[in-house]
Amino acid sequence: MQYLAILGSDPSLSPEPGTPEFEARSQGYMRFGERAASSIRGGAALEDAQTAATIRPGDGGPLVTDGPYAETTEAIAGFYVLETDTLDDAIELAREIPAASAGWVTLRPLAGWWPYDHEQTGARFLAMAYGKETPTDQPGTPEWEKAGEAHMAFVAGAGPAVLAGGALHPGTMATTVQVRDGDVIVSDGTLGEAGELAAPLYMFQAADRDAAVELAKGIPNDPGHTIEVRPVWERP
Amino acid sequence: MGEALTSASDAVERAFREESGRALATLARLLGDLGAAEDAVQEAFVEALRTWPERGIPDRPGAWITTTARNRAIDRARREADRGVREQAAAPPSPVAPPPDPEVEPVDDDQLRLIFTCCHPALAPAAQVGLTLRLVCGLQTAEIARAFLQPEPTLAQRLSRAKAKIRTARIPFRVPPAHLLPERLPSVLACVYLVFTEGYAATGGDALIRHELCDEGVRLARRVVGLMPDEPEARGLLALILLQDSRRSARLSPSGDLVLLEDQERGRWDRERIAEGLAQLDRAWRLGPPGPYRLQAAIAAEHARAESWPDTDWPRIAELYAALAERAPSPVVELNRAVAVSFAEGPEAGLAVLDAVAADPRLARGHQLPSIRADFLRRLGRREEAATDYRTALARARTGPERAFLTRRLEALSPPAGPAPRPR
Repeated sequence: MQYLAILGSDPSLSPEPGTPEFEARSQGYMRFGERAASSIRGGAALEDAQTAATIRPGDGGPLVTDGPYAETTEAIAGFYVLETDTLDDAIELAREIPAASAGWVTLRPLAGWWPYDHEQTGARFLAMAYGKETPTDQPGTPEWEKAGEAHMAFVAGAGPAVLAGGALHPGTMATTVQVRDGDVIVSDGTLGEAGELAAPLYMFQAADRDAAVELAKGIPNDPGHTIEVRPVWERP
Repeated sequence: MGEALTSASDAVERAFREESGRALATLARLLGDLGAAEDAVQEAFVEALRTWPERGIPDRPGAWITTTARNRAIDRARREADRGVREQAAAPPSPVAPPPDPEVEPVDDDQLRLIFTCCHPALAPAAQVGLTLRLVCGLQTAEIARAFLQPEPTLAQRLSRAKAKIRTARIPFRVPPAHLLPERLPSVLACVYLVFTEGYAATGGDALIRHELCDEGVRLARRVVGLMPDEPEARGLLALILLQDSRRSARLSPSGDLVLLEDQERGRWDRERIAEGLAQLDRAWRLGPPGPYRLQAAIAAEHARAESWPDTDWPRIAELYAALAERAPSPVVELNRAVAVSFAEGPEAGLAVLDAVAADPRLARGHQLPSIRADFLRRLGRREEAATDYRTALARARTGPERAFLTRRLEALSPPAGPAPRPR
């Protein structure tokens, strides 16, 4: 089973780059990456939410604005795609992710995650769809099947610009993992805006954010979800 | 014929209550899928309703149900394979090769697996309780909805969503490995206790006690101890539930009002339950440093042993609450500690404990804090302040009997205004 591990961090708990705390956290992620290597199918850290662009459906076509989908203090800071046999195994991995201690990790089951083997030439961007759940977000419905075909056509048309695509199960299937004072707290559901993530998810590569936004406008989006495009943070 | 039919359908009903959890647990192991197991067990009971009146009730109804359910599941898997159903994403894993023996024997581990799956922390607590009552205890959805005062469709939807999550998110059907047990057992025990307390101190509606939930809580706690006899906290929970349950009938006056421990007729306490609770606590206490359930059971035991309210060993209870506050800090524990301190050292000392937690937002909406504070003030003779707090408590109380109790207390504070009734 594949899970999208959505990493939420509280900016007030996040250390500044260059500080020993920042270093320690980076080391924590490196250690996790090594330990969980056999289960990690993908992942990225994201740039600060303020660097995002948001595409909202409008009467005269999509409206693009600067900034994230939602102004929250606990924004999505990154993700992993984890593959394990059961939710318990995924929880055992999630608790080791530094974000579980400094924020939260939400595990959303994936209906699919498809990495494409294109050479990376541009900067990476994550496109996330937000909005109220519709039949298009419910695996198994005719709407879901129809959307699936549209996404396949989109991916074929976009060529090497699509590095990966994913489809999430609904937010009601999510589980949140937090570590506080050494205790693991597992709970049903999501925290923050992670609960409003709709099914489609894309990793693009593009020359710049504007190009990524142009690309994201083409994401099949029948139910009128809002799409946020966030630059991926690349290790300097 | 009519009589045979009635007794056979009674037998089916009884078998459902007693055996469906066991059968379901076994089938879930064989099929690896809870939903498919539930369908198969349901089909077996339908079959029982059809055939038992004619052919008689089998010697071992439970084994008959389990075996029939397994056969139905295999039939169905074959039919689907024949039809070439290939919904890879949605289809449950195919059944494992059926065991050669004609009857499927349930094993204790099956039940424990089912309990741990229903009480998985990735399910919301309310869903855990509903699933446990439905799947482990074999209660019908309508019965559970009635017990929790919820519309049946709401509860049915909650249950089906929880089952969908078990399937979709791959919550494993297993007893957690030893290294995870310490963090997973608490949600099982909490779920069992929630079943009981929801019956013992209902949080909504006009009935203060819902007996069917109390009974189910006692049964569940016994079963969990039977399955994990060496878990000290599981046994502590059983002791706690038995000791609290011993007071069940004394908690209500004939008119259905809440009777506080203080005013209860101790002769109405169930001595058998008390003896069993004390014996269970004694066994659990010897298994190492006490956890939260054993401490709460020890407090309940002090009350059970006391001849009367004033005779209660209040310093000991205050001490046990302090130990509990250390292991499982919560504002509610502090409220109870304040009450114990008020009897051990006086209401002033109790007030000091209360004032230290008064600002806790978790107490801001319940009626307990103002209700207890009002009582301390009443005992100190500060009647006007007491009346203010009783009014606050009254505005927050949720059940009819709680409101009735607080109203009585408030009225008792001030003699009715106006001319005194003229003696005849």
